Amino acid sequence: MENFLQQTVNGLTLGSVYALLALGYSMVYGVLKFLNFAHGEVYMFGAFAGYGVLTVLGGPSALMVPVWAAVALMFVASMAVASGIGLALERFAYRPLRNASRLAPLISAIGASFFLQAAALLLFSANSRSYEAPELIPIDTAMTVGPIDVWAVRILVIVTAVVLMILLTWWVQRSRVGKAVRAVSFDSEAAAMMGIDVDRVIVVTFLIGSALAGVGGVMVGLVFGRIFHLMGFVAGLKAFTAAVVGGIGSIPGAMLGGLLIGFAEAYTTAYISSTFQNLIVFALLITFLLIRPSGFLGRPELAKV
Amino acid sequence: MSDIGVDRWVEESGDRHEQYSGWTAPARRLFDSIRPGWRLGGFVFLLALFPILAPQGTVRVGITALLLVMLALGLNVVVGWAGLLDLGYVAFYGFGAYFYAIVASDQLPAHWPSWIAIPVIVVATALLGALLSLPSRRLVGDYLAIMTLFFAQVFVELVRNFQRLPGISPDFDLTGGPNGITGVTPWSLFGFEFNTFNRNFYLLLALLVLLVVGLHNIDNSRTGRAWRALREDTLAAEHMTTPVNRLKMLAFAVGAAIAGLTGTIFASVQVGVFPNNFLLVFLITIYAALILGGIGSIPGAVVGAIVVAFAPELLRNPGTGSWLFYIGLVAILVGTLKKWSLVAGIVAGVAAFGFLVRQTALTIWDDSILGVANDTFVARIVDGWLLILGQHQDVVANYAFVLTVVGGLGVTVTKGWWRAVVAIPTIYLAILVWENKLALQPAVTRQLLFGGVLMVMMAVRPQGILGTRRVEIT
Amino acid sequence: MTPILEIRGLAKSFGGLRVIQSLDVTVGAGEIVSVIGPNGAGKTTLFNMISGIYQPDVGEILLDGASIVGASPEQIANLGIARTFQTLRIFLNMTVRENVMAATYGATKTRLWQSVLRTPAARREEQAIRRLAEEKLGFFGDRLVGYRWDQPAYSLSYANRRRLEIARAMASEPRLLMLDEPAAGMNPAETREVTELIGRLREEAGYSILVIEHDMHVVEGISDRVVALDHGVKIAEGSFEEVAEDPGVIEAYLGHGAAKTR
Repeated sequence: MENFLQQTVNGLTLGSVYALLALGYSMVYGVLKFLNFAHGEVYMFGAFAGYGVLTVLGGPSALMVPVWAAVALMFVASMAVASGIGLALERFAYRPLRNASRLAPLISAIGASFFLQAAALLLFSANSRSYEAPELIPIDTAMTVGPIDVWAVRILVIVTAVVLMILLTWWVQRSRVGKAVRAVSFDSEAAAMMGIDVDRVIVVTFLIGSALAGVGGVMVGLVFGRIFHLMGFVAGLKAFTAAVVGGIGSIPGAMLGGLLIGFAEAYTTAYISSTFQNLIVFALLITFLLIRPSGFLGRPELAKV
Repeated sequence: MSDIGVDRWVEESGDRHEQYSGWTAPARRLFDSIRPGWRLGGFVFLLALFPILAPQGTVRVGITALLLVMLALGLNVVVGWAGLLDLGYVAFYGFGAYFYAIVASDQLPAHWPSWIAIPVIVVATALLGALLSLPSRRLVGDYLAIMTLFFAQVFVELVRNFQRLPGISPDFDLTGGPNGITGVTPWSLFGFEFNTFNRNFYLLLALLVLLVVGLHNIDNSRTGRAWRALREDTLAAEHMTTPVNRLKMLAFAVGAAIAGLTGTIFASVQVGVFPNNFLLVFLITIYAALILGGIGSIPGAVVGAIVVAFAPELLRNPGTGSWLFYIGLVAILVGTLKKWSLVAGIVAGVAAFGFLVRQTALTIWDDSILGVANDTFVARIVDGWLLILGQHQDVVANYAFVLTVVGGLGVTVTKGWWRAVVAIPTIYLAILVWENKLALQPAVTRQLLFGGVLMVMMAVRPQGILGTRRVEIT
Repeated sequence: MTPILEIRGLAKSFGGLRVIQSLDVTVGAGEIVSVIGPNGAGKTTLFNMISGIYQPDVGEILLDGASIVGASPEQIANLGIARTFQTLRIFLNMTVRENVMAATYGATKTRLWQSVLRTPAARREEQAIRRLAEEKLGFFGDRLVGYRWDQPAYSLSYANRRRLEIARAMASEPRLLMLDEPAAGMNPAETREVTELIGRLREEAGYSILVIEHDMHVVEGISDRVVALDHGVKIAEGSFEEVAEDPGVIEAYLGHGAAKTR
């Protein structure tokens, strides 16, 4: 029972990260009907940005500022770097291809993903870096929830993710720009005709999606310690699965999907074998695509002939 | 009253031909003037000379290139002709390779002779392709791409972890796990063993000729037209008696069969197969080859694959790599600026900027920052001009790299004089990064190049080198 | 004589929207029937149901007495119905000739291996459909012949593209031809040509034709019968004159009360 609860917490933690990543995929798909293959690399650079800030601030053992300030700065830096890359991608790799065939943006995204991985390899070399999180936020700083101890780091991750998702939901429902995003998701032509600047909306979408991915990157560094240039690839695939399972294009769907995949991975690793965690997630995706491509909360596509 | 049904312009124009324009025009006109049969023959003849004329050890690269050509041609059927986004193509290659490895080695007690194994494997891969085509009935575009991508991931995972699957006894080592299968017997037909590089090269060349001719024939047949109609407008094609589902299946099957056949040769040449041979990285390489050469075009697939296969080899050697870099740089300048006077101006600007930077750096920090230049012909020329760093080479090169990328993006958004102002430092920085870092890391450079090529091609010349410009319905 | 096309009691809803209600339409052999109505009346949906894109909720669609409901567009095309599209759906990146040849797939039988080896039988069939395509394209005078055969379809003018689409539909040798707004976007001269063309399609080629059209000059010039739809319901049927005078039709086009001013 204890193990189960522990795994549930693991699932929540993982799920939070996947949800943040999946949101980026879903939002971009919603407004552009396009899958941003390079999203995983944005997340990876966010993680490295956080690491960079940590190092500049003296590293986990010799911090020049209080821990909470360091973590906050790491989040901010990762959001900045991730958004920067995301915006550059939108402006230079994807925008020129808005009216091209459906193959072109996909290929460009794959190329971008490849390029960014290589850039990371060049800049950071193949060695993985470690946040050395246990030194940063000691493991024994834990909260006792029922029969188990939950590490402070995981609580931080889960709470931050929840707060961000609440903020996002509020923003999308209430703010003008948020409503514009929803409008463009629904029907970009009609939105343009209503006077919405679709280009700006797309930029904002990329900005937010990438920032969330950056935060996710730092979280992974904090919880699991190791970051490396290929981390974006598999995480990207899984987050993508989460987005599809939850219903691509749907924000609550991405959150739901993220949690589901997080749990799937946690329980598989614990109860079956860690070797198969990837396989199971991939099999989940394939199943969903075949049975219900619109996921749990997505809208089935209706095309006018 | 106008004449109904008479097009005066058609009458007057008679036998007009489409005129080629742009800098590739003379090459294309020459290309067109040679009859297709002779074109192929001439090309094959040149390729056949390769093992004889090429330096030692490069036949292996030639084989890699020909394998890539076959794969590009196969992928072209699925993506270029039928328009089906298959990101799992590499799994068919792997399937064929593993199947052959399993039956042509000591992995299992069975040991099939080539003349049985090869046809069986080709058919089996074709069937697998047909199976994978089933989702394409309901999934289109991105969804199909994702699905096939994941299928490829599943394949690699399965092959890596076969023994640990539930229900499989740990003693049943079908795929060799992460260590793959070794000791594969090469192709052996009519007593002739294909166990040298030369033999395999000519085998591939022969198969290539057959494949090119066969595919060319298909392209000009009802099947080829139906595939292209399917790509153009699936709904309209269906209304014009095209059985779209069957044709999708056929495209997948044919593409898969080609990949499967190529896989068996790969296993035979490498004398083994490993899970890491069939990763997404390689799929991207195949796509890069096809897109660079020209998607939808048979000559395009051939040319693209050869370029993509040889580029990393050229990059591996710092000497040739540097030549490639500088020639490439000049080519880009000439290609975009078109006027030699402008090119000269930019080059002069870069030279001046370089001197300025070097002098400033040396004044501020003195000689100690300098390092040793790598030993290439070009590096020795630029040594006195370019800043080749010693101690802080890595860090400075990193910053320079980021600035180069930013500068490169900046060049695309600026115009006129400003563009030159941004371009000159960017070019200088690019050279700096190259000499200080990239030239020393060919693998990373290759990956950067591929990724960059894909992005740039899609934005600038989506039809590739030899493809024809397509018009898309928005 | 059995009518070529018989539609009985057809109804279709999308979600809560009833697009077609209880529709009966017939097209006799060799007849030209026009379907008119304001936008949103359900005309293209009707075509889409006949050609197999949507399935009707209720009702029958009979081609020469046999039901085609539930058949796929490909099967229906093979049974003898060919259509053009309101939005013009030619194969832009294929040549003019190839566009038309593509429609002969269902009538040919060269297998893949025969194509690969270019067997004599394959070559013969290829020649035959080439000639067929050129013949169909020749129906339009000199506009789509000669060097035009090898031009990519995207190089054609708008009017020529529409003609190409009709030629392509003809290549599947249908019994019933459905033309969705064949004169859309054409100037008066081209419109006159289209009117003549549709007449020739019936006289020279013997097709039965169902046409959706907005341009009343065309409708007047071609129709044996006109069916008027509004909001998915048939509001009038008869000769052009009868339908043009019908008060319900006038109201549908010109608004409530317009009938009184006529």
